[in-house]
Amino acid sequence: MRNLLKFIVRYHFTFLFIILEIVAFILIIQFNTFHKAKFMDFTCALKGGFSRAIMNVKEYLSLREENRKLVEENNKLYNLLKSSYRITSLESFKVNDSVFDRNYVYIDARVVNNSTNKQYNYITLNRGSNHGIEPDMAVLSSDGIVGIVKDVTDNYSSVISLLNRYFKVNAKIKRNGYFGPLAWTGRGHSKAILTDIPHHVEILIGDTIVTSGYSAIFPEDYMIGITSDYRLKGGNYYEITVDLATDFKHLTNVQVVKNLFREEQIQLEKSAEND
Amino acid sequence: MINLLPRNIVRFIVLIAVQLLIFDSIQFSGYINPYIYVLFILLLPFETPKWLLLITAFLLGFIMDIFSNTPGMHTAATVFMAFLRPYVLNLISPRDGYESGTFPRIFYYGVNWFTRYAFILILAHHFVLFYIEIFRFGNFFSTFLRVLLSTVFSLIFIVLSQFFVYRR
Repeated sequence: MRNLLKFIVRYHFTFLFIILEIVAFILIIQFNTFHKAKFMDFTCALKGGFSRAIMNVKEYLSLREENRKLVEENNKLYNLLKSSYRITSLESFKVNDSVFDRNYVYIDARVVNNSTNKQYNYITLNRGSNHGIEPDMAVLSSDGIVGIVKDVTDNYSSVISLLNRYFKVNAKIKRNGYFGPLAWTGRGHSKAILTDIPHHVEILIGDTIVTSGYSAIFPEDYMIGITSDYRLKGGNYYEITVDLATDFKHLTNVQVVKNLFREEQIQLEKSAEND
Repeated sequence: MINLLPRNIVRFIVLIAVQLLIFDSIQFSGYINPYIYVLFILLLPFETPKWLLLITAFLLGFIMDIFSNTPGMHTAATVFMAFLRPYVLNLISPRDGYESGTFPRIFYYGVNWFTRYAFILILAHHFVLFYIEIFRFGNFFSTFLRVLLSTVFSLIFIVLSQFFVYRR
């Protein structure tokens, strides 16, 4: 204490000077608007810079924690991502046709694999037995028919494409009801051949070809394509070239159709054959 | 020595009055603002206690501030100037020091000595005053020019006043 007093007494001139200058500066800053504003600016900038410097250091110190949080957040978001989900709920709906007493169940599906360049093309869908898909169900797109389900696993199904040598569907001319088997030409992805149309039938270019509904697989009157060419084969039957309505080159959303009375129909037809 | 106090009080009042009534109302082109009231600090006796030096400087500046409506600016400048005075006196002291009974005047130590002494202190005063007034170091040289020109003119007026007022 004595030393402190001695120190102050010894340097009283300097101390007094500093005190008086501080008083003067307080006066300047308190009572001059311009200087006050300037001073405020300065202190604000100083404070801001200081806080920012501190924040920078703090950010580094909490980097590990931040990273952990970000990873957690990322995980959460990935889990929310649509691509990590498989839609298991069925958005199927029923068509109750009271006149024919038939009942179709439509199951929406997405094409996950498709080919058009082979002789035996197959399509893979992201629906399987878990979603009620069974073999021999019809596959439709919004434009026209696509194929028939061949094999089914729990979550996937393999579809015989219309562009397949094995594929045959019973088709008819919508205008007059004459029917015959329709099969792929084997070339390109847009043409099929309808045969067995009798030679007396009047054929027009641009006739609509639809499913006949005789097969117990495809619903009746569903679009297949339109006629583009025809010629007589062997004198008695027409061979009609059909432009397919379905564009097999870009096929994404399709519907699988279940005929609930198929078993009954087949049973009946079998017993009739056995007689 | 007895009449030292009244003489200084009178000088104090007269210098403030001259500064406010004459020099503050003269506009020299905006660059030149002579402040001759600092002559009071220059003329204080050598034996003035250092603390009293600072206090009187503070009072002088404070009163100037009150009248010129610039709180704190003149105070800061005059206190700074008073703080420097003992060091400047040491720096430019004659070979055999300052004799007792003398005052820091041309009459005792000559024009040369007085001019150097006054120049350093007036420059210090004006420097602090003008930069506090501007309150930033942008346009440093423009302000510095003002400081130099004002210092020169203050110095001229102060030295001349020594010849006219104080004949002795």
